[in-house]
Parts: sequence; structure tokens; C-alpha cells
Amino acid sequence: MSIDLLVQALLNGFGLAMVYVLVALGLTLIFSILEIINFAHGEFYMLGGYVTYYVFAVFGVNYFATLGFAILAVGLAGVVAERLIFRYLRGKTLNAFIVSLGLLWVMQASAQLSFGVLDKPVPSAFSGIVRAFGLVISVERLVVSLSAIVLIAALYLFLRWSRPGRAMRAVAQDADAAALQGVDIELVSALGFGIGCALAGGAGGLLAPVFAVSPAMGALPVVKAFIIIIIGGMGSLPGAVVGGLLLGSVEGLGSLFMGSAAVNVLGFLVVILVLLVRPRGLFGGA
Amino acid sequence: MLELTDLSVHYGTVAAVDSVSVTVAEGEIVAIIGPNGAGKTSTLRALSGLVRPSGGRVMFRGTDISRWRPHRIVALGLSHAPEGRRLFPQMTVLENLRMGAYRRRDRDAVARTLGEVLERFPRLAERRHQPAGTLSGGEQQMLTIGRALMSGPAMLILDEPSFGLAPLLVREIRAIVQSINRERGVAVLLVEQNARMALAVAGRAYVMETGRIVLSGSAAMLRESPHVKAAYLGG
Repeated sequence: MSIDLLVQALLNGFGLAMVYVLVALGLTLIFSILEIINFAHGEFYMLGGYVTYYVFAVFGVNYFATLGFAILAVGLAGVVAERLIFRYLRGKTLNAFIVSLGLLWVMQASAQLSFGVLDKPVPSAFSGIVRAFGLVISVERLVVSLSAIVLIAALYLFLRWSRPGRAMRAVAQDADAAALQGVDIELVSALGFGIGCALAGGAGGLLAPVFAVSPAMGALPVVKAFIIIIIGGMGSLPGAVVGGLLLGSVEGLGSLFMGSAAVNVLGFLVVILVLLVRPRGLFGGA
Repeated sequence: MLELTDLSVHYGTVAAVDSVSVTVAEGEIVAIIGPNGAGKTSTLRALSGLVRPSGGRVMFRGTDISRWRPHRIVALGLSHAPEGRRLFPQMTVLENLRMGAYRRRDRDAVARTLGEVLERFPRLAERRHQPAGTLSGGEQQMLTIGRALMSGPAMLILDEPSFGLAPLLVREIRAIVQSINRERGVAVLLVEQNARMALAVAGRAYVMETGRIVLSGSAAMLRESPHVKAAYLGG
């Protein structure tokens, strides 16, 4: 087997994995700030998909403008969900589990009622392929991966250097101590939840032309995101990125040897192997 | 400057703090001493807004802050260095200090305060780029106090600053508290299990047991009280 083929397979794997990292980072951000797992996270991804379908495929707005709008709109929906529901669940893991599962059903059923149960195809925004160094990648995949990487970098810069970003890191490490330094916990919590959902919405917008849009589309990326989070370590943002790279490379290489259904199982195999060696994941703290 | 009137805190139906009244005047150092579980920390958490009081009133600088959330209370000049240090372990010493000035917008003034704090705590200046989680217990305590000073407070609340520290370090902390009070005129409310230390620094003190104030007066008077001697100063 040639090296080119291996690199090509890795490239294919990374492409989609970067988008799943976006979903995983959103879940992780929400987990670190509110100490809860949002099981309805995939439904915010689905919302991003439908926004893209209507704005881009139906109304024909520019793809990147649509993407920006999907991010904003789903982020706003996240803020509303936090103010109405999730702010009462801070630190209440079990309650949040039940409530977010309920929200998942409500959002999926509402999507079925409003948009129908059938898949809605979103046309590719970009056509053609790029060839370089003996590798081939479709322009669409390239745009999807690069956009995901830009969003990941933006999140990093925001958390590292901005004032609200610092406040979020402080709340993640010790919420009471952050409040005593003058951080408005309610504000950070709404903002953090909103940004987490915005990332899911962006991911939905990026993958809408790759897969079709449907009420249940959120299941696949969320499963991938959970695999990534468990590999990387619960609550660790760098862990989510590394976990995504690992999952992407395993799936990419796996696709050389097996069909796509079997490839989907590989992720779980990696989870088992990682947990055997490091029960808290690669970057999991004490 | 600070006036707690009949303050109560309930967890469920259990009263952790039961009608406690405490005052701290401008420039004063006041201590609350008492055993573990007496409600000292709950009192402090109520007055800085971390828990809702179930009754009573908290006045600070003439404003009723009983129902305020913590971030607004800090902005009013009341800074709380909590029990157990509660630093941001993954942030560096410098980042922790900057978090202390989170509500201040005047960059020059923050830089001045930062300079003063680093001058007061040379050990922190040496370790400024180190993550707070890697500091020793004494250094962490100094960082907790330094962080609380970064907001430029009119009053400082210190919860168990001597906890878990060697006697030499306890003396150092004591000297630091005194100099902050003297040089900057910052009022201090000090909560301690180490009654000997607390009564050496404070001008006045309250003795708290099972949620109530059982005794109060000047530190000199309390040092001579038979109850305090027997229960807290080792006879």
C-alpha cells in the first residue's frame, strides 16, 4: 500500500472529525460551566441544519452568510434554552439528564411537525476537486474542514484572551471563587450555553450539504462527539481536539479495510482501549 | 461600615446561622472565632452573596446588600478570601491576581495595585508564571489574600487564613493582615479556628457556637474570659 493512499485516508478521516470536534467542544464547554451534560445538544445541531436548508437551499443566500446566520440563530436559541430551563439545573447532573432528554424529544417532534419527517437535501455549495502532492480532496470537504478549524481557533482565542473568556475559564475551575472575584455567574452561564449551542449550529450548517437534513440528524454527530469526549477526557477542551484527531485518523485508516458501517464501530473500540489504559481519558484530570 | 442584623441562614430546615448580629467599623479588625461547624463560614457566605440569608439584614457602606448577588457586592468594595483558598488552579499566579480585578476597568489603576501586591508578596512575584495549583500551602494562602486585594477593597473578609499552615507562616500571615489594615486602612473581618492568632490581631471579637453569637467584646477582654480560655486557648 502506498504512502499516498494512507495520507489520503487520514485526510478523509480528519475532514469530518473536525466538525464533530465542534460538537464535542460545545458539549464540553457547557459541561465545564454548568456541570451538566446536555443530551439535546444534537438537536441544536439539527436546528443549524434546518436554518441552512431554508436560508441557503430555499432562499439562495450566500453559503458563508448562511453559516454565520445559523451560528447566531442557534446560539440565540441556546441562550433562550439556558434562561428558560438549564439555569435551574446547574450542577444537578441527574435532573439535567432527564430534562435534556425530554428536550431532545420535544425538539425532534417539533421538527417533524414543522419540517416533515423526510430528508431534505441541501445542494453542495462548492463543486470541483483540489489536487496537490498526489492527494485529492473535494472543495466541499476542504471548505467544511477549514471552516471547522477556523471556528475551533476562534473559540480558543476567545477563551484565552477575551474578558468573558477568562470569566468562563474561572467559572469552570471554581464557580463560587469566580463569583467572589466579581464574575456574574448567570451571565457567563447563559453566554457559555449559547456559545456551546452556536458551535453545534455551525457544525449542522457545515454538514447539511454533506448529509441531508432531517429531524433525527443530530444522533450521529452527538455519538461521535461523546466518543471524542470520552477519549479526550471529560471537561477538557484540548482533550476534545486530540480525541477528534484520534477518532478521525482511526476512522480514516479503517475505511481502507472495511465498509462504513464497520468503521462506525471502530470509535467504540478506541474508547474501550483508551479507558483500559487511562480510565479518565487522555486529558482527564483527577 | 458593615452591619449584620439578626442574620439567619437555613439549609433546608436546619439553621446554620441563627439571628447573628455583627458590626465592623471603618478601619477595624474584627474576628469571629468558634469551633468547626459553628456557622462562621455560612455567615460569611451570606454576607458576600454566595447563599441567600433566610432572615435579617446586611448593610455595607449604608447600602442594604442582603439580597444582592456576589459580583455586585465585590464591586461595592467588599472582598472575600474564601475558606480553603479556592484559587483557579490551572491559571498562573498572575492570571489569578488579574481575576481579582475582574470588575475594574481602569487598567492603570489595576497595574498599580498589581505592583503593590507583588511588592507585598515577593514569593508570588517570583512564581508569577507558575500555575496556582503548584504552589505550596503558604504561597496559596498569600495568593488568596493577594487576589482579594486586587479589587481594591474597602473591607476584606478572610476565612481561616491560618488553616493548615506552620506556626511560622501563621505569624507571617498575621503580620500581613496587620500591615494591610494599617497601611491601607482596609477594614478586616477575620474568621478563625485559631483563636490565639485571631485575638492577637483583632481589636474586637465575637465567639460563635452552634449558629449563635455567645460572647463578644474587645480581644483583650475575651483573652481573659474563662470560657474562651477553657474552650479556645487551651486553659
